[in-house]
Amino acid sequence: MSGVLRWILTRLLVMGVTLLGASLVIFFALRLLPGGYESVVLGPLASEEQRQAAAERWGLDQPLWVQYWEWARGALTGDFGISLISQVPVLDELQLRMPVTGTLALMALAAAVLVGVPLGILTGLRSTRRSGGAAGRLVAGLGISIPEFVLGPAVLYVVSVRMSGFGVGSLSRLTEDPVGLVRALVLPAGVLAFSCVAVTARTTRDVVMGVLVEPHITAAVARGERPWHIVRHHVLRNSAVPILTLLGTITAYLLGGAVIVETVFNIPGIGSYMITGLGRQDYAVVQASVLLAATLFVVINAALEIAATFVDPRVSSKGRR
Amino acid sequence: MMTSTKLFVRRLLKDPLMLGAVAVLGVLCLLALVAAVVPFAGNPTEIKGMRLSPPSAEYPLGTDSIGRSLLPRLLEGIGVTLVISAVAVLITAVVSTAVGVVAGYAGGWTREIILRVVDVFYAFPAIVLAILVAAVAGPGRPAAIAAIVLVTAPLMVRMIAVQAANVAYRDFVTSARISGVRLPVILVRHVLSGVAGTLAVQVTYALAVGILVEGGLSFLGYGAQLPESSLGLLVQEGVVYMTAAPWMLFAPVAALVASILSITIVGDTLRDRLEPREVRSLT
Repeated sequence: MSGVLRWILTRLLVMGVTLLGASLVIFFALRLLPGGYESVVLGPLASEEQRQAAAERWGLDQPLWVQYWEWARGALTGDFGISLISQVPVLDELQLRMPVTGTLALMALAAAVLVGVPLGILTGLRSTRRSGGAAGRLVAGLGISIPEFVLGPAVLYVVSVRMSGFGVGSLSRLTEDPVGLVRALVLPAGVLAFSCVAVTARTTRDVVMGVLVEPHITAAVARGERPWHIVRHHVLRNSAVPILTLLGTITAYLLGGAVIVETVFNIPGIGSYMITGLGRQDYAVVQASVLLAATLFVVINAALEIAATFVDPRVSSKGRR
Repeated sequence: MMTSTKLFVRRLLKDPLMLGAVAVLGVLCLLALVAAVVPFAGNPTEIKGMRLSPPSAEYPLGTDSIGRSLLPRLLEGIGVTLVISAVAVLITAVVSTAVGVVAGYAGGWTREIILRVVDVFYAFPAIVLAILVAAVAGPGRPAAIAAIVLVTAPLMVRMIAVQAANVAYRDFVTSARISGVRLPVILVRHVLSGVAGTLAVQVTYALAVGILVEGGLSFLGYGAQLPESSLGLLVQEGVVYMTAAPWMLFAPVAALVASILSITIVGDTLRDRLEPREVRSLT
């Protein structure tokens, strides 16, 4: 078997193991929650018989390993069970919410790619110190120092008090009125984009500066290649893999549900689904949405890493040792 | 050793931005500490005056929704947030150093197993993991600390394992091993000092993440609980009364952003100095 193929197979195996671990953690962590589902649904006044009947009905009286097995088997075939609170299949709800979270994520990601990456490259090419000048350090620091739960409400405040035009609180379906949906999501996406752009610019700058000092750049300068040519052919090409990896991580984070932004702006996406589910101990809902977030993270990262071996063969040989 | 440390600190403090960041952090810590010992600004839990009254001579930062003076609450909040984050990061640092050094130095299956477990926790979105921990542990300080540890540890273990593996194959470690130095001595004297720089940088960044996580948790109702105060909790209250009493939002937000920003700047500066890299400009 060729080295690269073997490396890819190993990578996929590792991915499976990670997901198995993640599913175990989420399942058993939820079972540790105090209270239990029956008392949440039936309230504190329910009789012992009512509790038992409810537990039996939902299979909650079975041993935990059996419950886990049933859930995992269903999840593998796309059946995530039924929300214990709303009695709606979790999959239906996820399908309704994914386009919203997806649009939100795409908008923030676009900002990271279109603003963050060029900004990072430009500052990386010009810097003479690793952390840049005082002003640059201050601005870069500010970008990652303003949390979403501060920026979100601040934006809401300014908009609700001073201006209107960006709809707040009214959403449209992606399939019916995509423009309306995008317009409604401009503000929350802007809040998400703020930190995404800052992180992307910081990391890109770091990567570019790392490439700039490599010997092959010195060789290119010595050969008399023009700066722009060096940047395009040597610097950018060698910076691509780490930047793509970072963007993958950001995408996974955004798709997994931007919990705080979705809560602040009252957006019916994956993140707010997860949070309301957790508050009500709605096992099926939390399990499915957290597993979805973890799966996206693991799969996107693995896919990018595998793609990277084709762009840059050093990636897989490093893993092989 | 002492003189080189002194020299290092002196050089760091020549950097005006670093000096500013350290000064801001120092003032915040000092204010919180003094207020905890001598409540010079008043009792944070005492209901004193009108509800939602704007800043005045009597209440320098105004009052909150049930008439408590905001200044003492803010000082208490700064203290609570910084202590929660510091305690959590201390735990993270000790655990991650131990696990990371073992993983990096031992290599092989030990390293694989440790890193795969780390991967599992790394796969969860940070805030989701934090909320899950807080929900299981029951809202409050211990939950916030546990959540910060679980969020910050995976990255730190990874970074330290990588650095420890780099050191483990250096000649001075091999020669120490050949000349019969015992394993604990090698680990502490050579490997640990080799990862110290990475650790310092990671710990600084983790402190900032800790403050962020505490804030996010309190904001969603899983962190510090009333009548206690924390920066996240104050921001959350401020958001509720944003239109009627904006001063309730401004002061906690300023304190929160100032502390995260100065910690980040300290981290960046430390990284520049402790993990030096050549730098050059094309233009």
